[in-house]
Amino acid sequence: MPADEKELQNRFEIKTVLETSRMLIESRNSDFVLNNLLLIIMGKLLSGKAAILFYNPAKRVYSVEKTKGLKSISEGDSVEIKLEESEKSCSHIFYNDKPEAFPRLADDMKNSVFFPLRTSNQHIGFLFLGSKVTQKMFAAHELEFAESLCIISSVALSNSLLFDELKNTNRKLDRRIHELNTLFDLSKEFNLLTDRDKISNIFKFALLGQLFIRTFFLIYKTPDGISLLTHSGIKKPFTQDDINTLFDLCPLEVKAMDDHCYGEVPALKTNLITNIIGISIQGEKVAVIGVGERVNKETYSETDFNFLKSLANLAIVSLQKTYLLEERIDKERMEEELSIAKSIQRGLLPDPVPEVQGVDLAASTISSREVGGDYFDVAQTPDNNTIFAIGDVTGKGVPAALLMANLQSMLHVLLPVEISLAEATERINDIIFNNTPSDKFITFFWGKYLHNQRIFRYVNAGHNPPLLLRKGGDTLDELSEGGLLLGAMETLSPYEQADIQLESGDMIVCYTDGVNEAMNKQREEFGEERLKSLILQNRNLASEELMETIIREVRQFSNHNLEDDLTLLIIKIR
Amino acid sequence: MKNFKINHRESSGLDVLDLHGELDAHTASQLEESLKTLISSNKSNIIVNCSKLEYIASAGLGVFMAYIEDVRSSGGDIKLTNMNERVYNVFDLLGFPTLYDILDDEREAIDRFSNEN
Repeated sequence: MPADEKELQNRFEIKTVLETSRMLIESRNSDFVLNNLLLIIMGKLLSGKAAILFYNPAKRVYSVEKTKGLKSISEGDSVEIKLEESEKSCSHIFYNDKPEAFPRLADDMKNSVFFPLRTSNQHIGFLFLGSKVTQKMFAAHELEFAESLCIISSVALSNSLLFDELKNTNRKLDRRIHELNTLFDLSKEFNLLTDRDKISNIFKFALLGQLFIRTFFLIYKTPDGISLLTHSGIKKPFTQDDINTLFDLCPLEVKAMDDHCYGEVPALKTNLITNIIGISIQGEKVAVIGVGERVNKETYSETDFNFLKSLANLAIVSLQKTYLLEERIDKERMEEELSIAKSIQRGLLPDPVPEVQGVDLAASTISSREVGGDYFDVAQTPDNNTIFAIGDVTGKGVPAALLMANLQSMLHVLLPVEISLAEATERINDIIFNNTPSDKFITFFWGKYLHNQRIFRYVNAGHNPPLLLRKGGDTLDELSEGGLLLGAMETLSPYEQADIQLESGDMIVCYTDGVNEAMNKQREEFGEERLKSLILQNRNLASEELMETIIREVRQFSNHNLEDDLTLLIIKIR
Repeated sequence: MKNFKINHRESSGLDVLDLHGELDAHTASQLEESLKTLISSNKSNIIVNCSKLEYIASAGLGVFMAYIEDVRSSGGDIKLTNMNERVYNVFDLLGFPTLYDILDDEREAIDRFSNEN
């Protein structure tokens, strides 16, 4: 080449280097830098094949960042280059000098060359240039030209890579901040809400929006069973069996779907669910969340799942709160109703216990619970005599109290009717039998005291026999004439009534099984014998005092832990 | 109450929802109702004009996620227009521009709908 022509070429190359360097340095887009770098070098050095390889220090491999004219590799591939660190700082290295170190990027690697891309402190990668189209060797000035461009571009690249990284980091940070904002917003919102549908709806939307997904479901363990609270994008509905299986299947962590899960619940596959997550409160699994693929096909990162778990925890705690709130409201309402029932029931019993002429009378009921099934009554008949009654409905609580109220009203309706005690008992039995479930009975004892004759006429329908203590006697007689307890079956044989002639000082003690069946810590019953001797020992007390004594003894015996209602009615003839 | 409002109007035979104020967890259900109403009356070419939208939270974006498929499966689309930069950043941050047409102006959305149909 003549000297002046060479001079011209030199100038041209320097100009190109200068122009290119300005363009590259001003650019902040690494893709633009790479593309231009490759095109300029390929054009100047007449090669149809080139690539940029970026070093990935974490994996110690090179990723193919950009290719031109290469068929055997494509952008995004990883390749290995086995060079010593010192060799990476050379100006260029031919494939033929170290074929074992380099990957075969083109079919014909002969005469191809690798230029390191580096700054003073960073190895960025290599520019690969395939052999000349003309099959000639690269001239020295051509190699120098390419080297110069590589050095200038490396600085620009390093800058733009840094810029990209910064942009990426910033974006990640923005996303985290947005996630935190979402969590913050929702925790405020959830706190205000007691409506389950609203909570699950907001949870759904926040999740769909933040994670960029379309398919989602939330299964929650309610007090009434496991159910699907909300979902989105579910095409094939889950059956209740699916929901139960899914709930048991899911661990308390993020689980990626596998063939086992798809086998157990095929609807997971149909609905394109990719992950399920179990959520626990105080160690107990309460919810399972399923999500599908993200719309942009990006895989979920650890941070995404952490966000999902945090958001789910917030929502689940709020849902839990709504159930607890409902339970509390229910309980409060129930307690209020019970206390109303109790005051109504109290109103059905004679209060105060009336004065009855010629009789020292005491009567009282102690309920073990808010309402109970014990009953006693004292009432005047139209013929100026007195009815005494005591009864015990099986069971406790509201059902027993209802039946007791029923008995009370029947007794008062029948009071003015001119029929015998035995007939009245029969009618009450038939009505109760017809109107109550077969497992509800009443043991019932009532007696009519005929003041003038001092006759006590009674019917005992299956009640603990009241005890009669004569003034001078030392044994207690049981008043057990009558018939079957009330409500067990229709009256077949009539109830018997019996008359007893009473004298001054005679005493009748009526009681319910809360007395004789009271238990101590050793599970022993108080029993009739204890009651009888207690009565004998205290026979000289007035009715009221005797009643107090019995109640005190029974309470002490049971360590103040009465399991049943307890009623006493004591009649002492003056 | 937060200030959020949706206006429904028709423009060139398309349904336009004008969003005003802050669309967040609390107000997301209002947008849901509006979209549901449109979908149930078979209106599926929907423009959401965000010129008066001051803020959007993830729950707001979630509503769009939940209904886009319903709308598209009936041959329509939801196109979002006139967003301020702050609102657009949230959409961009969560990847929405890959799934939704987000346009500078309502006019463009109308043109695009008429070219599609």
